[in-house]
Amino acid sequence: MTVQGTNSAIRVGASILRDYLVLVMIAALVALTALIEPKFLSPENLTNIMFQFGPLMMVALGTTFVIIGGFIDLSIAGTINLVAVVTISLIQPMGQVPALLTGLATGTVCGALNSVLILSSGALTQAEALFMTFGLSTVYSAIALLYSHGSTMHFWDITASKSIFQAIGSGSLGFLSWSFVIFLISLAALWVFQEMTAEGRAVRLTGGNKTAARLAGVRISRSIVVIYAIGGFMAALGAIVLFSRVTTASPVIGVGYETNAILAVVVGGTTLKGGKGSVLRTVMGVLLVVLMSNCLNLLGVSTYLQVVAEGAILTFAIWLDNRKHM
Amino acid sequence: MDSGGSEVILSIKDVCKSFPGVKALDKVSIDVKRAMVHGIVGENGAGKSTLMKILSGVYEKDSGTVVFDGQQIEHTTPQQSMQRGLAIIYQELNLVNTMSVGENVLLGRFREMKGMRGTHAKARELLDRIGSKIGTTRLVSELSVSEKQMVEIAKALSFESKLIIMDEPSSSLTAEEMCELVKIIQQLKDQGISIIYISHKLDEIFEFCDNVSVMRDGRVIDTKPKSEFTRNELIMQMVGREIENEYPERPQRVGEVLMEVRSINTRKLHDVSFSLHKGEILGFVGLVGAGRTEIVRALFGADRVRGHQVLIEGKPTPILNPRDAIGAGFGFIPEDRKLQGLVLPFSVESNISMASFRKFTRLGFLRKSIEKEIGTRQVKALSVKTPSTKVPVVNLSGGNQQKCIVGRWLEISPSILIMDEPTKGIDVGAKYEIYMLMKDIAERGGAIILISSELPEVLNMSNRVLTVFEGRITGEFDPKVTSADKIMSAALGFDGECS
Repeated sequence: MTVQGTNSAIRVGASILRDYLVLVMIAALVALTALIEPKFLSPENLTNIMFQFGPLMMVALGTTFVIIGGFIDLSIAGTINLVAVVTISLIQPMGQVPALLTGLATGTVCGALNSVLILSSGALTQAEALFMTFGLSTVYSAIALLYSHGSTMHFWDITASKSIFQAIGSGSLGFLSWSFVIFLISLAALWVFQEMTAEGRAVRLTGGNKTAARLAGVRISRSIVVIYAIGGFMAALGAIVLFSRVTTASPVIGVGYETNAILAVVVGGTTLKGGKGSVLRTVMGVLLVVLMSNCLNLLGVSTYLQVVAEGAILTFAIWLDNRKHM
Repeated sequence: MDSGGSEVILSIKDVCKSFPGVKALDKVSIDVKRAMVHGIVGENGAGKSTLMKILSGVYEKDSGTVVFDGQQIEHTTPQQSMQRGLAIIYQELNLVNTMSVGENVLLGRFREMKGMRGTHAKARELLDRIGSKIGTTRLVSELSVSEKQMVEIAKALSFESKLIIMDEPSSSLTAEEMCELVKIIQQLKDQGISIIYISHKLDEIFEFCDNVSVMRDGRVIDTKPKSEFTRNELIMQMVGREIENEYPERPQRVGEVLMEVRSINTRKLHDVSFSLHKGEILGFVGLVGAGRTEIVRALFGADRVRGHQVLIEGKPTPILNPRDAIGAGFGFIPEDRKLQGLVLPFSVESNISMASFRKFTRLGFLRKSIEKEIGTRQVKALSVKTPSTKVPVVNLSGGNQQKCIVGRWLEISPSILIMDEPTKGIDVGAKYEIYMLMKDIAERGGAIILISSELPEVLNMSNRVLTVFEGRITGEFDPKVTSADKIMSAALGFDGECS
């Protein structure tokens, strides 16, 4: 009996560890790097990290809902490209506020378009959505290229007021960067959506079992449009934070964001099987991904090896996710 | 039981198994003799499945011994058990739909069989042994459920199995297919193979089992030769209390017409029209695949069907999707509880509350306390056995899962409740409770459409029965005054005169 007791204690312990593996990894990473490279904890580097995680955080928060809803969105990279070039090009002719709003609207429309095409084709599996949004990503990217004629646009070419974007890119409110404030507001709003609204519940039910949800009267089509629209909106927000920080927007600015966002979501512990997960987990996932690249940079590891590490972690996270749900 | 050692093929002694919070098996001991059919009966949650999973190696036992064919079994895996000669045929069959019968029978041993020709030859030989005429080149996806079962049995034979465990093999078989299975079981017995037959259906147990073990709450209550059991005794031991009747009386208050359905036409259905009265249970009888499920799915808006007319209390009511249907007063209990009914990893509470969002949301926000009330109310009303409403519904037994779905609809009190195989895989006690619920719903003025593959169930519960054959309604009967034979022949497509 005692053997059994210990056994089950170990099992419970193991499952808690597996659930919060990210936190352990983050702590280990911080401790290790701080030990080897004291610069890591310097105010400059911490500020750097705060700015660095902004864009990925926005994108990954949006992607979380797509994945909780049982789908996936690879069109994010294309959406970011398109939103970045459209928004920056409109600051001069339209003024900064209309440009900002148009940018956010563009992202939302791209997201919603994904879902409308998925729904109208009757493709209701994650794999089908994967291919469909992969195709759409190239479409959005191509439109971005056509629109910008392939050229990069810079802040310094804009003579009109661009104070909002400059604030988002490098301004601070007290000791918090504006991008961090935007992150906090988005996180709060999305968390409320996830936990407290009927639509948030419908999204979860859709991700848990589409057939059962539909037969119980849940509007799964609406949920699918909602998750992709949120995904698109958050990608647009990410795009704006991103080009504001680097002060330029090229039509390939978003490359790699879709896989990194999925990486962060899955590493955080939201399952690709749908139904379960949380934006709070995604925050941990993003933190891990960003900290890791920051650490590897500080330690002087080559970018190629960094990509290997990212790929390995994504594979491991999905492997673990599958084991957990066996 | 002190029979000679060699006569016992499988000896289970004092096996215990616990899961967090539940003692699933408590000192279970059963001896299975060579060339005998050993029935195991028990309510859902009695521990039958756990025991089988320990035998096959899916679970590890906590204590106790298992001796199979003179060999003590420890730390086994499903593959090893198969190779040792212990095969399990699960309720949900494990076949590759896109492969041929032959390839499935000898799955994973293509090379041993020296290619396709050897595979098909060997598969033919095995199928012949059970007198089955299924072509070995046919695709499994084209087979009926009973044919698939034959393939599973042939697969078991291919491992020179000495013991075959059948887990509720009859739950999706028609009466004729069942006769076929009985014949095969007899043949297997003659070939010296032992069979453990798990079932809820007492008729089957009495028809061909030699010995019977009754399980309840993780314990073996009794093991005796079949001849020493009476039917009532068996039921009593299973449920731990006496059940006088298997079915309650039919609902008594059939009123005026509630709904009229006019000409549903699809690729499978032809001009299906019928009416439903208030306070009535309307049964659909037909073979699996005759179109019964398609009719109710069309009605509920689950499949895209156009052109038919539904009148509720004389008013045309267009139903394009399940949401419309629910708005019009329908509830729907689908035939596949796990795939279509429940969100398995979610809590009991959110599975029950799924259809009554309107009750616990305000301005788009959830009111969790009201949701909790809904869950608690239905769990109490239907006496769902669960430690709390927050437990994932997947942890509940089949009968309790089904009650959660019933509770989901009771919460919105539908005027028309469609029940497709509502008691599939549910034990006697829970069945009776579901029947009582049905009667109760009908007598409070609701109407029920009942589909079931268990003929006695439809005939004993329904006020009126419609027979369905190849997508058409072939007859309407009053089961109180019509013989089962007559109804069955209409469901099989015979003219009333011929039989």
